[in-house]
Amino acid sequence: MATVEEVLEFLPRTDCGQCGMTCAEFAALLVSRDLSPEDCPVLHEPEYAGFIEALHEILGPAEAAITAGMLIDQDKCNGCGICVAVCEYHLGNCDEARLGRGPRPQDKVVFHVVNGTAVVVHQELCTRLVQAAEKCNKCADHCPTGAITLV
Amino acid sequence: MIESVICTGCGCLCDDLDVTVEGDRVIEVANVCLWGVNKFIATKKFHSKKDRRRLLAPQVRRKGRAFDISYDAALEEAGKILIQARRPLVYGLTNNGSWAQEAALRLARRWQARLEPGDLAFMAPYYEALARHGLYWTPLEEIRDEADTILFWGANPIHSCPRHVVRYSVFSRGRFTERGAEERQIAAVDIYPTETAKFCKPFIQIDPGQELELLQGLAAHLIEGQEPPKRVKGTKKLVKLLSEASFGAIFVGRGVSYGPARKLWEGLARLVVWLNTRVPFSLFPLASDFNSVGLYHLLLRETGSPYAPDFGAASGLSSHPTPVDWREVDALLVTGADLFWFMSEDQVQALKERRVPIIVLSPFANRTTAKAQVVFPVALSGIETEEVAYRMDGLPVELQKLISTPLRPDHQVLADLEQILGGSTGG
Repeated sequence: MATVEEVLEFLPRTDCGQCGMTCAEFAALLVSRDLSPEDCPVLHEPEYAGFIEALHEILGPAEAAITAGMLIDQDKCNGCGICVAVCEYHLGNCDEARLGRGPRPQDKVVFHVVNGTAVVVHQELCTRLVQAAEKCNKCADHCPTGAITLV
Repeated sequence: MIESVICTGCGCLCDDLDVTVEGDRVIEVANVCLWGVNKFIATKKFHSKKDRRRLLAPQVRRKGRAFDISYDAALEEAGKILIQARRPLVYGLTNNGSWAQEAALRLARRWQARLEPGDLAFMAPYYEALARHGLYWTPLEEIRDEADTILFWGANPIHSCPRHVVRYSVFSRGRFTERGAEERQIAAVDIYPTETAKFCKPFIQIDPGQELELLQGLAAHLIEGQEPPKRVKGTKKLVKLLSEASFGAIFVGRGVSYGPARKLWEGLARLVVWLNTRVPFSLFPLASDFNSVGLYHLLLRETGSPYAPDFGAASGLSSHPTPVDWREVDALLVTGADLFWFMSEDQVQALKERRVPIIVLSPFANRTTAKAQVVFPVALSGIETEEVAYRMDGLPVELQKLISTPLRPDHQVLADLEQILGGSTGG
């Protein structure tokens, strides 16, 4: 299963906004199969020849798509980091986040806060994906601004 | 990448930010909330996609238009205002580092000015109550490690200090609070529902003006063991919560400054004194400006009072608990605050009609710089220049310099202004 970071490697990473979002947000929607690589206008330029095919290859067939993920509304998120602290995966795997501090750069986390908003880094680590989708809603339940939607 | 940087977004002074720097530009900050990011990458508060305009050159206003001038020329213009003033005021300072606050106090003393903290009505009565009752003090880390009861009074930490609930008071896990929020009783008292209602059980919504009644009800129940004559809805829930606490903290927000702040702080302090006879319990203001606490520490150290010192009073130094009467002021120096943001339109108009000259020190363009006679752009404390700041529990921390800037730090500009006065008065 492709991760957001792997997908990002094959996106322009210029955050040009032509698709209406940042490259990281676009990557998350590629992983969840809500968008396809062709939806990025920049990838059609000659400079990026072969990137669309490469993305199809790493994303694999549509059946392997993530069926449960999360979407973060960047306009609502105020970066308080409650989601990072209460995340079930972080509880057992990231001491810093468990204790209320921000994760260190080398920590492998589901999401962390960058420039004042929460950003999904390793969606594939989310408990909803590896164990049971219906059993963990902690990040969305605790978000005081209602910025997280679980899909 | 520079790791573990201290954030100057609010009084929490979070120390776990990872800042990515490219040349003399900050390009990414991890673990920062929207309050902090507005300092690091110059965006508007709570609008991270809108830029804030940085001031790059000193400005002077002539016939309503602003002109860029040299630093020395701006000092000369400001000097004229300083020398002609008879009832000057130094305003703000809650968003300055401690060195700048010390320089501003020295300037106010030499200028024979009144010095008015930007949040006088909120914070000063706390320090008065603290001095009167000598309350139990504890660092935020101990609250994180041990507190099982938290009460937010007139406070919305999600807006004033977004990471406070995560790092110290609600969701953080510590030595004896391994289950975080599940292990704590969290309550809030406010006059309207806020985001805190999501994790505060009970959330006690009272009518405006009922704060003192609620406090008196709590005191009657807890201290005197009597049924109060008139009980505000939610009193019993709070009594149960406070009497079951084994270690607690009350965080008070700016909400109290819209009511009888001195009486409220006094009532809360009395309640905490009683609680302290049984269990450790602390009382803190939820300071949203990053060095508001440092200013009051300085005032207490230098003048002995947390109130606004007036060095121009005929009887020598006097300190005022009440806000300044703007009709008295004939010259203004604003630093570390956006004065016109807090003033009513009538007050702004009155200052404009009386042509009160304003000198402003600010890293960003704001409402006050748009009306000021002389504007000095300054370096950002903790990002472009080193400084010292006090966290909301009174812990002093050193802020480091991350990037270079040609702009001068605010304490240097204030010292240069003081120098002018020293020369002119022969002092």
